[in-house]
Amino acid sequence: MDIGGLLNELLLEDKVLIHFDFMNGFFDINKSIVVTWGVIAVLAVFLLWLTSNMKVHDISNKQLVAEMIVDGLRGITGGMLGEEAVRYRDYMAVVLVFIGASNLVGLFGLTPATMDLNVTLGLALMSIVLVEVAGIKFKGFGKWMKSFAQPMWVVAPMNILELGIRPLSLCMRLFGNVIGATVIMELLKMAVPVIIPAAFSVYFDIFDGLIQAYVFVFLTSLYIKEAVE
Amino acid sequence: MLNISIMNVVWTVINLLILYIVFKLFLFKRVDAILLKRREEIEHTKAEAQRKEREAEELKESYAKKLQGAGKECEDLVAQSKKDGYDEYDRIINDAKAKAEQIIIEAKHNAQIEAQREKDAYVSELTDLVVHAANKIAVSKHDEESDKELYNKFIFEAIEKSE
Repeated sequence: MDIGGLLNELLLEDKVLIHFDFMNGFFDINKSIVVTWGVIAVLAVFLLWLTSNMKVHDISNKQLVAEMIVDGLRGITGGMLGEEAVRYRDYMAVVLVFIGASNLVGLFGLTPATMDLNVTLGLALMSIVLVEVAGIKFKGFGKWMKSFAQPMWVVAPMNILELGIRPLSLCMRLFGNVIGATVIMELLKMAVPVIIPAAFSVYFDIFDGLIQAYVFVFLTSLYIKEAVE
Repeated sequence: MLNISIMNVVWTVINLLILYIVFKLFLFKRVDAILLKRREEIEHTKAEAQRKEREAEELKESYAKKLQGAGKECEDLVAQSKKDGYDEYDRIINDAKAKAEQIIIEAKHNAQIEAQREKDAYVSELTDLVVHAANKIAVSKHDEESDKELYNKFIFEAIEKSE
């Protein structure tokens, strides 16, 4: 068993899929980005099919599912955001679906898109921008600036540091969990090739992937809720 | 493994925004439109139902009022027709009484006339009888016995006639 080789292959593989020859590879596109394009395309086609031919009365099962999805997603994110920030629930629902779907592509033999640090970093940046924008929108710029010195001026450096810490922790948590799950699954497959990996895959590929999506959205919602208090 | 490429971060952000637009256009907007339509319809139906209820209430009240009026009118009509009936009854009875009195008077009068006529007839017959008897007496021969017989006969005849 060549564990070192496996880890090298997993962690140090070349993530670039589409290579451009100019600017020293600045415009290279990673495999994970292409995977998320696929995710977006599949979701778009699914939604188009799901919401086509909708009626007010005598709804089909398909439309019922669409309405249940909307209600369910909004219920989850709206509950976490609270009344003040309820207008961000649609965005948070999309992030939930995006991360969940990106984690679940592991089931189809693809590398989860969230295993690429660039993807989780992009998500985390969007989250922190949204948190601060929500705060500025709700409080106004002056009050938002003052909120850094609350509850006391002494904690102002901590609050400013949080601007960087929060997205970093969001990004690293997601990335670490997904890569950890993938590594454990690969090791398991190496040790016991049959039956056991299938059972553990239910946890590591499905449950853990969805839990991480939920945690990411939950924390972002919590920050937004805090920002608009 | 931890190399960060800014372009890929930007791509992720763009992807996320695209997915947001996809969800907004294809899921949230469409479902919201349906839900809004449904809510509008429910509101409309509710308003309609309330309006109808109010109308029914008004109608009920007006009918109740009319019904009360009708009861009073009915009583008036009954009273009026009773009064009319009594008046007619009185008139008929009075008429009948008057007619009866007249009939009685006429009957009395007729009876008197009849009695007078009978009396006259009787008297004339009696006169005839007397004349006849006188004739018989005059033509027959006179003796005591035949006179007696004649008187008796006359008296019997008279009695017979009168009966």
